[in-house]
Amino acid sequence: MTSGGLEAGAQRIPGVTVKKIEKEVYEIFIGPQHPGSGHMRIIVRLDGDIIVEADPDIGYVHRTMEKLSEVREWLKPIPLLERMTIIDACNVTLPYVNALEKLMDKTPSTRASYLRVLLCEINRVASHLYGMGIFGVFIGHSTMYMWAFGDREVFVELAEVLTGARLTHTYPIPGGVRRDMPQDLPEMARRTVRYMRGRLEEYRKIFVDNPVIVKRLAGVGVISKSRAIELGVVGPNLRASGVKYDVRIAEPYEVYGELDFEIPVFEEGDALARTWVRVEEIKQSLNIIEQAVNWLETHKGEPVIAKEDFDKLPKLHKEVYEKEGRVKLVPAHATMKIPAGKAVARGEMGRGEIFYYVESDGGTTPYRVRVVTPSARNAIVFKHIVPGHTLMDLPAIYGSIDYFPPESDR
Amino acid sequence: MSLESLAEEVKKVLGGFAKEVAWRKGYLEVLVETANVVEAAEKLKSIGLDHVKSVTAVDYPKESKIRVTYHASSYSREDLMGVIVGLSVDLPRDNPEMPSLISVWDGSVEFQEREVYEFFGVSFKGHPDLRPLLLIQELAEKKVLRKDFIVKEESIYEGVPFKYD
Amino acid sequence: MVLDLILYIIAYPPLWQVLILGFAGSLAIAMVAIWFERKAAARVQRRIGPYWASPALGGFLNIIADMVRYVLQQLIIPGTVDRLVFYFAPIAAFTISILPVIFIPLSPKPEFWPVATMDYSLLIALALSTLPPLLVIAAGWSSNNKFAVIGSMRESYVITAYELVAVVSILSASASLLTFNLVYIVEAQQPFKWLAILNPIAFLAAILAVLMSTSAFPFEIPESEHEVVAGPFTEYSGALYAFNMGGAYVRRFVYALLIALVFLGGWAPYVPGPGPITGYIIPSLIVVFKAVIVVLFISFLRAVYGRYRLDQALGAAWRLAIPLAIIGFGWSLFLAYIGVFH
Repeated sequence: MTSGGLEAGAQRIPGVTVKKIEKEVYEIFIGPQHPGSGHMRIIVRLDGDIIVEADPDIGYVHRTMEKLSEVREWLKPIPLLERMTIIDACNVTLPYVNALEKLMDKTPSTRASYLRVLLCEINRVASHLYGMGIFGVFIGHSTMYMWAFGDREVFVELAEVLTGARLTHTYPIPGGVRRDMPQDLPEMARRTVRYMRGRLEEYRKIFVDNPVIVKRLAGVGVISKSRAIELGVVGPNLRASGVKYDVRIAEPYEVYGELDFEIPVFEEGDALARTWVRVEEIKQSLNIIEQAVNWLETHKGEPVIAKEDFDKLPKLHKEVYEKEGRVKLVPAHATMKIPAGKAVARGEMGRGEIFYYVESDGGTTPYRVRVVTPSARNAIVFKHIVPGHTLMDLPAIYGSIDYFPPESDR
Repeated sequence: MSLESLAEEVKKVLGGFAKEVAWRKGYLEVLVETANVVEAAEKLKSIGLDHVKSVTAVDYPKESKIRVTYHASSYSREDLMGVIVGLSVDLPRDNPEMPSLISVWDGSVEFQEREVYEFFGVSFKGHPDLRPLLLIQELAEKKVLRKDFIVKEESIYEGVPFKYD
Repeated sequence: MVLDLILYIIAYPPLWQVLILGFAGSLAIAMVAIWFERKAAARVQRRIGPYWASPALGGFLNIIADMVRYVLQQLIIPGTVDRLVFYFAPIAAFTISILPVIFIPLSPKPEFWPVATMDYSLLIALALSTLPPLLVIAAGWSSNNKFAVIGSMRESYVITAYELVAVVSILSASASLLTFNLVYIVEAQQPFKWLAILNPIAFLAAILAVLMSTSAFPFEIPESEHEVVAGPFTEYSGALYAFNMGGAYVRRFVYALLIALVFLGGWAPYVPGPGPITGYIIPSLIVVFKAVIVVLFISFLRAVYGRYRLDQALGAAWRLAIPLAIIGFGWSLFLAYIGVFH
């Protein structure tokens, strides 16, 4: 934000850029107070109805997550980082926990891994439904919006039964998870899965196969395979462009290596393909949820934190675990020290790959936490893909890449 | 791809550029000179490391340096998808400056270099649009992610004068 | 003497029809349409919709509360607008939207007509109903807001596209009946020779034209919220905004009345008798009922469709609707040639 082109004598306002634009170009500011922008601004320059330049101006919900993580003890960034994407809370913190586990050379118990995967997939479905709902209302389809948000509630409630919190679960901790699943969860999860499969069919009828929607989305916002790779696009947007990349396959974490699922890939790279990828991924996530609860039901008895941690717990804490299925940590956990080192961990969120770089100098707080969220990497699409489309295509592209400003701004 | 063979391949392709090659937890860190960083990046790209996941900068005030690491990985080579190679350079803390790798890695580093610029004050030569991304200019000038910017804890009564009566 | 004059003015048929039927009637219909739109969409979307304002009426009072709120809301006028046009355009648009009602007969009996003769009523009603969009464009232009200007531009694109369709498809009735008199048009359709059945192509084109002209889904383009906020009405607030939005609903109702008369047989199959009850009230209720069906159908589309892109909507108008309207017109001439109505 340089102040080049400022007239002499004009007063300089903090945070405001002054820039000369061409006479033929019509410049409009979409956001941050605009029904179709979210917490961001896209500065769009139009020639007639065609966008010639789009400049995503993000950062309106920047909350200094990286800096704040450096002044908190190791466990405390978990609830903080969750706030980036509360609708995808387990996926967004799991790689941070994984990075800590790498630094500590700790392996979570298998049961904990399955529980993490279960919550991750519940989150993924909820996140996709959220994205599809917003997408629907962006292109004027209010029914899709209401349906998706209504059905997301089912998964939010399933997560609540599992963790005790609707959105910010703070579920994984280094070495395990915070509580075991309740007895009735498997049955509830199976019912949810059955229900959602039926609903997906209805979605197809009213939204994905709707002639108006298909006409609106096909061939819009095409990201070719090579361009997607150059721009470093992630998640469903990448897979819609024909790149078969998913962290769950590329570098399996937790128990994803043992589960049976597919990665849907489409070649078209347009907004419609991105929608299809989300629908197909919901189906795969439902499969994983079923497999996970089946495993959890048949393998009982193992504690949900690493064995060496569990053995060290005092008797009272073990009793609490036996009775309530809840892990009560000793206070030493809050001020634990982690061996010096640098670790990188990544995971697949609903919106794509999340990357953590965690560095420890052996103290009680992280030396450096670097987090790159999927939306932060997808933001580049606005700049390079949007120009050349008409103004009415902007909401279609925005919605189809499922951009989430709070996640991007961190 | 086994990790050893990756290290071998990276060493081979980088030739004399690599000052230091070390396995960290989860990635292979390669340290190069600032002058060689563009060529090193091109060589890495030539073996299929086609995008950058993160441009990570870490401030080390004791050693008076800022280390910038490009965590690169691959979308096009299946055996490289599971690994991350970190291409690092050490920059002096008082005037950090390095060539931009936007010519090599295109859009995947464009916004992240802007981010490192605003948070650490690292200036990337050759970046077409180097201005703060998330912060406003006034805040960016403070280089907030450097270690000498201390987050002061604020009381909710900060600035409210006490009254004793 | 004075009392007589006041009574004469109040009971003066054109004023009567404009004030009672035109204003109050369309307002009531618009309210029902809005209520139905919200309630039906809620039903499809598995919600309840308006409810708590009056559970027994299904939340209907909610709509009235909304209207009261609009009227009482602070009227914010930005300093940069062209004030005269800014005030004038929405009020004029609303008024002109109601005017066609004067030329719409709700009974075959001349004593219940608002004007003395109905000879050119279809032509005049159509001509009047095409005026308000120009004022909507003026409203957007006077707002001096980028989104409003873009909305106005879209509105102007859309009216050039649908105007011809609306006029040609509705005038196809005149082509087959060789008259512009709405009463003759209705009487010729007695009892079930409705033009919607005899000439479905023109009927379809007319519905498409009404969808486009009143910004109904899937053609809700000039006011598309996620690109241009509220289109031409972005800077409007309070009562002026209510005039703008109400104008669109009134126009939809007027078009629906025309379609009910021209294509759905008006008061047919009922044969009006003498006296005000059988001669006026019952036939007018039948016409309004048919019009309400059309309005509710149009409102219901919101729950099913998204919106087309501008170029796709214009393509639909120029490539699909205009040929349809012309084919319908030709079919009408054919109907006249074989003498269906004689």
